[in-house]
Amino acid sequence: MHIIRILSLLIAITTIVGQPVQAKDMVIKEPPKSLAKFYPPLSEQPKWTQQMHKLSTHFGGVFINLKEKDFENVDKHADKLVEEYKKTSEMVPEWEEYFDIKAAEAFAAAAKTHDMAKAGKASGGLGKTCGKCHAEHQVAVWTKYHWPSFHKIKVIDPASEKEVDFHKFMKQISGSFKAMRVNFGEGQYGRAAKALRAFKSEYMELKSTCSKCHTTDDVKRFYVGGDASKAFEGLTKELNAEKPNPGNFWKNVGLVGKTGCKNCHLTHRTSSMIKEVWEEK
Amino acid sequence: MKLSTRLLNLLTAIGCFAIAGVSIAYFLINEKFEWIPESALELVREKELVERPDAKRCSECHKDIYEAWKDSRHSISWTSKTFIEASENRTKEKCLACHIPESVTGEKPSPRLDRRDEGIYCVSCHFVNGKMNGPYDLVAPPHPTHRNPDYVNSKFCGSCHQKTFKEWKETGVDDTCQNCHMPRTKSRLTQKLPLSLLHKKKWVGNHKFLHGDITEKDILIEAEFKERFFNFSLLNKTVPHGVPTADNGDPRLYLYITFLNAAEEQIDQAKWILAPQQETALPFNKKMEFRYRLFDPVAQANIVLKYQPAWSKEKDMVWEKTFRP
Ligand code: HEC
Ligand code: HEC
Ligand code: HEC
Ligand code: HEC
Ligand code: HEC
Ligand code: HEC
Ligand code: HEC
Ligand code: HEC
Repeated sequence: MHIIRILSLLIAITTIVGQPVQAKDMVIKEPPKSLAKFYPPLSEQPKWTQQMHKLSTHFGGVFINLKEKDFENVDKHADKLVEEYKKTSEMVPEWEEYFDIKAAEAFAAAAKTHDMAKAGKASGGLGKTCGKCHAEHQVAVWTKYHWPSFHKIKVIDPASEKEVDFHKFMKQISGSFKAMRVNFGEGQYGRAAKALRAFKSEYMELKSTCSKCHTTDDVKRFYVGGDASKAFEGLTKELNAEKPNPGNFWKNVGLVGKTGCKNCHLTHRTSSMIKEVWEEK
Repeated sequence: MKLSTRLLNLLTAIGCFAIAGVSIAYFLINEKFEWIPESALELVREKELVERPDAKRCSECHKDIYEAWKDSRHSISWTSKTFIEASENRTKEKCLACHIPESVTGEKPSPRLDRRDEGIYCVSCHFVNGKMNGPYDLVAPPHPTHRNPDYVNSKFCGSCHQKTFKEWKETGVDDTCQNCHMPRTKSRLTQKLPLSLLHKKKWVGNHKFLHGDITEKDILIEAEFKERFFNFSLLNKTVPHGVPTADNGDPRLYLYITFLNAAEEQIDQAKWILAPQQETALPFNKKMEFRYRLFDPVAQANIVLKYQPAWSKEKDMVWEKTFRP
């Protein structure tokens, strides 16, 4: 099993039950095989997530009704919680030991005394079982089942009009970006202008990838939006000028690199790196 | 009276009654269907029709509409190879709603769980609140109907074609999506006897959801050589949304220019990609200017415009032009 050891992230996981396990190193393990049948494409809906909503509804339902002194519903939610908790414990055999049925039953019994203090106290034991599993698996499950894969995304190379893998395209765009900078540095403005054309058309192709995961155009205000367009206009202006101004040129290079490349990497590459480790097997 | 005469009279009488009956039925169904008591309709209703059946079931009567739909992109919105690829084998949560809608009501739909292979089918677009909703006030003996004027408005299509709807709205043009993509012909809604004879001809929208064509009358070009530059402009003169237009698809226009010298040798070439995803599609009735820097003397520029739909990897020629300084 592959483990990312180097990744020690400080992630605050706050669910309504809270209490994540205190740990200095965070280990992200690939979720167990038998979880797959509770997520698309094997399941039509994300059944595991839905099961979690049930647990949290009944857990929360106990306290809300205790507060409202609706004791009939307190009992109902307490029973349902135990029932769903048991059911959940049987869904993924690899995760069986995270569940403590006794703790769930003890909580239900305490809830049925209709004494808020007792219920509160007994909830700790059950809540801990939720928190431990979340701390150890939630990020991995998000990465595996909620983050689409960049490795399955193809980009059209604007020159050859052929589809290439995303990471290959990244290498290519990185090469064009460099070619422009190097030629400019050497005073080869004509060549730099040609490299800029290639770089810009590749950059525009990146914009076509957003809609493979996002369904609103709003996201295109970032990385590939106004800031990047302005920087490209600036670059074009310098390279079309009789005497390009190096100060303006390098300022715009910096803008593309930061608001374009770097910021997109910061939001999108983490999950891609984790997935890559899992896919290497 | 002779037997044969009697028989003839009887037959004539039956014939008269039949014609009268059919006439009354025709009159009732087409002119005064509000006189038909609900209890009479209950007798002829087919219950499974309001239990979200597949499109094939509707085709028993609406054969022509079914065949047009079967030939449309809507019928393959879930099984389309390019969609399956782009949605990572249909696992991306955000990608399901519009490709397998439960029910279209003017808002972004929610995804359904059953009959996903039917894509966007009859029931998705017509079955709302237990009735077949449509543009007409009519009586359909086999199933309840409800007139909803939204069916002839662009907003209906805008439930899913959200970006295209927004572009269309900004143009202020009166023509609706249906006017161009579902052109109407006078015909029957059903092809099953005797229903098809009992109901008057009506306007029927083409359920193939025609793609639309563009020619040099739609996309105009002007060009000039000026100093070190080749300047040109493109104008989408007729289509009241971007050309191309898309929500999550990636249709494109490719514009290729080859520059020749006096000896007709190619000395340079350039390319533009006009695509909604790159925010470079041609907006309605707004001239888009382009500029290309030339490094050597040019005697001729050959320009070719090609179009590639969202669901294809092939390009079709739109037009070709030549310009000289
Ligand atoms: C054996 C592991 C495990 C246990 C035990 C567990 N959970 Fe979860 N829970 C998960 C995973 C994995 C996720 C992430 C699911 C996802 O995002 O699809 C999650 C997510 C959640 C979520 C967020 C759902 C969302 O839509 O993002 C809630 C709420 C939740 N769990 C409640 C509970 C409660 C309450 C308990 C205890 C009574 C509990 N869970 C016990 C594994 C567990
Ligand atoms: C492989 C899928 C994928 C691609 C391709 C992709 N993104 Fe994302 N992006 C995500 C996911 C998943 C998130 C997390 C939140 C979400 O689901 O929207 C995200 C988050 C974001 C966010 C944070 C705001 C938000 O929506 O939550 C922005 C901004 C963003 N992406 C912009 C872009 C842009 C711009 C592009 C194209 C250049 C792009 N993304 C391409 C998957 C992708
Ligand atoms: C959609 C947001 C996005 C934008 C914008 C973006 N990148 Fe990337 N880049 C990624 C992702 C995601 C990966 C990881 C790909 C993978 O895991 O296969 C990556 C990987 C890379 C890599 C490593 C490729 C490899 O596999 O070795 C390089 C180099 C790179 N990008 C350069 C750039 C440059 C230069 C720019 C700006 C001109 C840029 N990127 C813009 C998302 C983006
Ligand atoms: C708001 C509704 C809506 C959502 C959500 C949606 N689509 Fe679509 N999709 C459409 C419409 C409308 C078209 C037809 C116009 C076009 O080509 O964009 C379409 C067409 C497509 C096409 C081109 C036709 C084909 O079969 O190849 C692809 C690919 C596609 N969508 C992929 C996706 C992906 C991937 C997602 C999720 C990121 C998604 N769609 C989410 C409405 C939607
Ligand atoms: C047994 C025959 C029959 C079947 C099967 C049938 N219909 Fe109809 N439908 C009719 C008749 C008859 C009319 C009225 C035709 C007329 O007035 O010209 C009609 C009218 C309609 C209308 C127009 C409603 C309006 O108010 O504008 C719609 C929409 C419709 N049907 C949808 C469906 C759908 C969807 C199905 C499948 C679930 C279906 N029908 C199956 C016979 C049928
Ligand atoms: C439930 C969502 C939805 C509704 C409502 C809808 N469409 Fe679509 N439409 C789509 C999707 C998704 C596609 C892409 C199907 C595919 O190719 O995979 C599409 C494709 C099309 C295409 C073909 C585009 C192409 O690239 O060839 C046309 C034309 C079209 N729709 C017109 C309309 C019109 C006109 C209306 C209103 C009467 C309408 N649509 C209503 C979702 C919808
Ligand atoms: C994408 C949504 C969509 C789908 C799918 C669809 N329709 Fe329609 N239908 C419409 C719209 C919009 C109209 C109104 C067209 C008009 O009259 O301008 C309409 C009209 C009709 C009418 C009334 C006659 C007419 O054209 O006005 C009937 C009957 C009908 N549809 C039956 C069906 C049947 C049967 C199917 C499946 C084979 C089907 N429709 C699939 C959107 C849809
Ligand atoms: C005046 C006629 C007209 C009207 C009105 C119109 N369209 Fe179009 N549409 C066209 C033509 C022509 C094409 C082909 C050119 C093109 O590809 O854009 C087209 C293409 C399309 C396409 C194919 C995508 C592509 O490749 O560009 C879709 C989807 C579409 N229209 C949806 C709509 C929707 C939704 C509306 C209403 C909001 C609408 N259209 C209104 C004429 C029209």
